[in-house]
Amino acid sequence: MGKVIVVTSGKGGVGKTTSTANLGTALALLGKTAVVVDADVGLRNLDIVMGLESRIVYTSMDVIDKQCELSKALVKDRRVDGLTLLAASQKNNKDDIQPEQMKAICAKLRTTHDFVLVDSPAGIERGFSNASAGADEAIVVTTPDVSAIRDADRIIGLLQHAGIEPINLILNRFSPQLVGNGSMMDQADVLDILNIDLIGIVPEDSGVITSTNRGIPLVYEDASPGSQAYMRIARRLTGQRIPIPDLEEKGFLSNIVNWFTRNR
Amino acid sequence: MANSIVALRAYRDGLHLIIRPHLSIEEVEEAIQQEISRMNQPLIGASVQIDLKCPTLKKEEAAYLKSKLQETYNLTVRSIEALDEQVPPPIAAAPTTHAIAQAMDTSNNRESEPSRIIPYTIRSGQTENFPQGSLIIYGDVNSGAEVRAGGDIVVLGALRGNAHAGINGRLSAVVIAMDLVPVQLQIGNFISRRPINQKSRGYPEIARIGVEDVIIVEKFVKF
Ligand SMILES: Nc1ncnc2c1ncn2[C@@H]1O[C@H](COP(=O)(O)OP(=O)(O)OP(=O)(O)O)[C@@H](O)[C@H]1O
Ligand SMILES: [Mg+2]
Repeated sequence: MGKVIVVTSGKGGVGKTTSTANLGTALALLGKTAVVVDADVGLRNLDIVMGLESRIVYTSMDVIDKQCELSKALVKDRRVDGLTLLAASQKNNKDDIQPEQMKAICAKLRTTHDFVLVDSPAGIERGFSNASAGADEAIVVTTPDVSAIRDADRIIGLLQHAGIEPINLILNRFSPQLVGNGSMMDQADVLDILNIDLIGIVPEDSGVITSTNRGIPLVYEDASPGSQAYMRIARRLTGQRIPIPDLEEKGFLSNIVNWFTRNR
Repeated sequence: MANSIVALRAYRDGLHLIIRPHLSIEEVEEAIQQEISRMNQPLIGASVQIDLKCPTLKKEEAAYLKSKLQETYNLTVRSIEALDEQVPPPIAAAPTTHAIAQAMDTSNNRESEPSRIIPYTIRSGQTENFPQGSLIIYGDVNSGAEVRAGGDIVVLGALRGNAHAGINGRLSAVVIAMDLVPVQLQIGNFISRRPINQKSRGYPEIARIGVEDVIIVEKFVKF
């Protein structure tokens, strides 16, 4: 029986879709079976980032409307074994799906996959309730800026209220240079506010944009710092204990902070 | 003291309403009305002592004043004392909000009212409201969260959101936090906003209404 993990954030554009695509691919590269589910009905993106746009025939809406079997709606990624995508309908909107229906889909998917990663839309409304309805665990993505952090905090409150546990944090678009010169919050500041476990830090990486445009997730590219960060997070998701490396520019002090940072 | 017939003053033991000599009850009533409307804050529920220096005022008239104060201004009369000419100097020359708040505290006993403990962090979008007494939070109050209490607010973590103590107008209420960096802080009807880029100081602080009638923040040592 696999795990259902919702990838969410509150604020838009902080890297939920990028994280879902890369973690799903990375988990498959590690030999796990993974399905990435786009829950952003009406504003779907995950298919593009995964490069599977042209192969979508059915969506979760068709499954809900009993137009096709769930297994038929899953798009197989041919680049790696064990990876599939369940696309969202682009014609519908978020109110056309009920949380219970998403829950039922996730419950089925978990019987055939090690990991079910649900890409949540931004916001705290129906789209979020749909995306988190079937989740056991959550990954909250934030960037190190106060508005994203406040929204992440809001989402964490809602996830906790829904009894979703554990809730892990990805700190995305982290820039060691900006932290070094004092213009970006460091990880200790962010964790102090959000007070959940950090599962990884993804640096600002221009490779993300080119990989998005090409439809090839970054993790296929070994050398990129973003790719390595996502591979480490995927390993942590499989239960491996890997310390979070020091991405900050310099400093003995920040090394100590990292050393003590809780991780799994 | 423009009209020296009636004066409201704050003393260590509470508010005093001093009524000066040789007046008719009508004149006293009018003077009281003027003096109370001079106050820039509600005195609702405050307890006062009437210091009578007015030999012409009869006992029944004093009793009438007492019920009048209670009904019209919602003040509680602790006692009516006939005074000699000598009145001790008040703790503040003018009745500042702070002085009145301190004086009113005799009727706001922290020990006797309920308090609510919140044993977790209050996150963005969440609120806690406790008009009956004080709130004690065993966690943080994050940006986007709001806490409101009739009495004090004590945060045993960081206060980063909005806090309103003394929501029913209690000006003696205080806000104490291990890390006091709120977006906005209110005590009674006084508001203070966070200075841009306020950094945490690394020690607990207390916010209250100061003698100058503004919210002041200082290192919290003990109460
Ligand atoms: N680590 C990174 N480095 C550089 N660019 C990034 C990084 N992560 C994300 N981006 C860019 O940020 C933009 C938003 O990313 P993404 O679509 O993953 O966010 P999202 O949270 O899914 O947004 P939405 O809320 O609209 O669904 C994209 O253009 C992406 O390329
Ligand atoms: Mg997205």
